[in-house]
Amino acid sequence: MTARSRRLEGSMDAGATFASAFEGSPTPMVLVDTQRPDHPIVWANAAFLTLTGYAWEDIAGRNCRMLQGPMTAPETVAAIGAAIAAGTSFEAELVNYRKDGSWFWNGLTLSPVRDADGVVTHYFSAQADMTGKRTLEMTMSDANANLGRQVAEQTADLRAALEQKTALLHEVDHRVKNNLQVISSLMLLKARRTPEGEARDALNGMAERIGALSTVHRMLYSAGDVTRFDFREFADDFVDDLVAGIDGERVAVDASIESMAVSAAMAAPLALMLHELATNAVRHAFPDDRSGRIGITARRHDGALHMVIEDDGVGLSAGRPNPSGFGRSLVDMVVRQLRGTIAWRETAPGTRVEISVPLDSVSLRDAVADPEDNAS
Amino acid sequence: MSETSPSPLRILVVEDEALIALELECLLDDLGYVIVGVACSSQEAIALGQETHPDVALVDIHLVDGPTGVAVAQALSADPRTTVVFMTANAKRIPDDFAGAVGVIAKPYSERVVAGALRYVAECRAGHVASLDGLEGFRLAAQQDRRVHH
Repeated sequence: MTARSRRLEGSMDAGATFASAFEGSPTPMVLVDTQRPDHPIVWANAAFLTLTGYAWEDIAGRNCRMLQGPMTAPETVAAIGAAIAAGTSFEAELVNYRKDGSWFWNGLTLSPVRDADGVVTHYFSAQADMTGKRTLEMTMSDANANLGRQVAEQTADLRAALEQKTALLHEVDHRVKNNLQVISSLMLLKARRTPEGEARDALNGMAERIGALSTVHRMLYSAGDVTRFDFREFADDFVDDLVAGIDGERVAVDASIESMAVSAAMAAPLALMLHELATNAVRHAFPDDRSGRIGITARRHDGALHMVIEDDGVGLSAGRPNPSGFGRSLVDMVVRQLRGTIAWRETAPGTRVEISVPLDSVSLRDAVADPEDNAS
Repeated sequence: MSETSPSPLRILVVEDEALIALELECLLDDLGYVIVGVACSSQEAIALGQETHPDVALVDIHLVDGPTGVAVAQALSADPRTTVVFMTANAKRIPDDFAGAVGVIAKPYSERVVAGALRYVAECRAGHVASLDGLEGFRLAAQQDRRVHH
């Protein structure tokens, strides 16, 4: 550019060359004389005339404000005036009007033209029709506002649906718990009115089983997650119940239960299983004031729950035959339902029951490989 | 019981489910407590409270006239002689200040937890230090100490 400018400076008709280049430019351009009153237009190119729809005769000698109209922002006009008064460059976008009254967004740059002494004699302005860009911006902004409104409406709908769902869950939770309490009370009332013996024992036994299921329900809904519960929390509560019902001097219960998430679907069968096995040991392993201990361990390993319930009591074969064998068949049934394995062993003295139950995907969700890391 | 108070606690049961109330009465009786009345509505509960000044009121949230157990707890706990314990399957309805109650026994409850909670209340009322070990089904209100020791 510098080399070319220098070459043009040397040329006789440099001025004519510039004028011709500007005249033919596709960019609308205009030149105003700032040394004459009211800054008249002294030159405009063809592109400027095309953009504004005026003929040269219409605009020659007039002030550019003739392009302004009702939608032209007065503060932009004032800013342009201030820039000219200060002799500085300026860029702006404002609404201008064509000869036919139609308007367009005019993106313009203003720059002062100085004489050899540095005095500003003219202002030169190049323009661009920004209407398309402006319209696009407006459309985008409208579209954004619309999207925002739609998102807000949908969020409100979803929130309302969630509130409804939560209210329904609370209601169902409340009813389930209340019904369990009524069923348990029914059993216990009937037991109280039944003479001592097999029938009363059966009723009390059923009330205890309902109690185990009730504990699961209470824990499932009291935690934030209704899909899972902590097996240790249940087992601790259950063992407390168990210990409260036995002669602590004679029979000790050692429980070592790892914290592990268990899905709601597995919760009730597992609770019943633990209840039957531990209660069986308490009831049948230590007849005739025999003393001893019951051990309960549960841990998670390789995606399965491994549980061992052992006692040093009289053993399966020596124990008094359980009238119906209901407890043991219930455990076998539950283990089968959970697709697990169970082994009953005589350990002389005592009985050892080993159970492995594969945990389902809900139970294992977010589970870490080493369960000890998951203890919290 | 006998080591914590000379006479057994007198208990008001506020419960609208007849079967639960009846079984609870049997249980409390077995535990050696005295039942001063059973109310199934808020009006009945408040009237019985004023009439009998119970040591302990076991209050369900949902009564025959709606979720009025909270108001019952407020009214009964205004009497400094009465310690209120909620007994509900609807613990989420209990306000943050527990409406003057000292705690809540979650339904479905086990007999052990009811016994333990009442033993705890009796100990506190007698000015003893009581433990809540192994009573997962019984949850205390915040700042319960101030409310139990009159």
